[in-house]
Amino acid sequence: MKKTGHQTKAWPPGVRRRVRQAIYDFHVRAFGEEMARVNFLPLAERRRYVADMVDHAVRKGVKFDKPALGVTP
Amino acid sequence: MPLSYAELEQFYGSLVARARRRGIACAITSGMACVAFGIAQATQDCDLLCAPAAAGKLLELLGEATLHGQLPSYRGHLTPPLDARWLRGGWTSHFVWEAAGAEAYLDVFGVAPRGSSPWETELQGFYAGPHTVAEMKRTNREKDWPFVTALGAQMLEVQDARGWLHIYDENLLRTFGGVSPAPAELLKRRPLLALAAANDARLHAALYAEVQFWHELDRARLRIYEKAVRPYLMAVKKARVPTVAALATQHAIRVRCAENHLPTNPLNDYGIERMIAEAREALGQIVQPSALAWLPDVREQFRIVAA
Repeated sequence: MKKTGHQTKAWPPGVRRRVRQAIYDFHVRAFGEEMARVNFLPLAERRRYVADMVDHAVRKGVKFDKPALGVTP
Repeated sequence: MPLSYAELEQFYGSLVARARRRGIACAITSGMACVAFGIAQATQDCDLLCAPAAAGKLLELLGEATLHGQLPSYRGHLTPPLDARWLRGGWTSHFVWEAAGAEAYLDVFGVAPRGSSPWETELQGFYAGPHTVAEMKRTNREKDWPFVTALGAQMLEVQDARGWLHIYDENLLRTFGGVSPAPAELLKRRPLLALAAANDARLHAALYAEVQFWHELDRARLRIYEKAVRPYLMAVKKARVPTVAALATQHAIRVRCAENHLPTNPLNDYGIERMIAEAREALGQIVQPSALAWLPDVREQFRIVAA
């Protein structure tokens, strides 16, 4: 993710590590251990994982389309 | 043979690239953007933001965009025409490519729902910026909220202070509150950040109330549009748009129906303040009255659609 405006000060390495761990713990709570692991993979591997997951679901008959209501949540 | 995710991603990416070469400001948002930003989400449809003024050019491009030899068509009777007048008013135009054995879906927005700043100013490659995507994900669907927090955390990691506006996980808010204070101007926009900084016990109830507030706002917004679209739905049904007709023909029929039956900006007609007041009232039924004091001022999130 690239840097944009509204910048805050950079954290020292120790704080950065603590924050990174807290974010990882959040991903485990919110998405489960497997997806947390995936979300922290390098980008190319992550995209490949999502592509495999979606393709597998489609082969098993999962539909991803949302209703066309003219307005979207 | 169904289309693979990689094929779809490439198709939508090339659509955006072609659109931009023609001067159309557009960007992929929602689920596909989350994947690009590193938060895995199983999705296959593409949500596209397009500058309302470029709606005509995008329609022209879509009319030539084949997928496995198929051209797209408008999807369903409720879909408003891809026209600047309705895009500006917060409507979404839906398209489908019915390629042999597989379908591809495209939803086009002119205004990012709940977007507090113009999405065109912060693009990241083919995608809308994380701030826009996170604002769009504040829906009435519970499943979207972890994505909002994950995007907010990523923003804070790259020192974008606006990430503070998107953290909805109590533990994470307390962690961030413990390492650096939120800037004063963000405390004004989101008062409960003061509770996180002070490690205040009331944070839990205030966070719950804020999420429920966004749910109520989204429900109210959807109700307004769903009511406004009904006469148009009847008109489109009656017009019997042939699904095999060229996109331009389908479009002309929908524009005719919309000009007679579809308000361009029902949210504005209804009144943003009125909608917010109703959402607050509904919220008052489900949360402690004291939690209402920590709600954000959300008028900024509807300023663009009201313009």
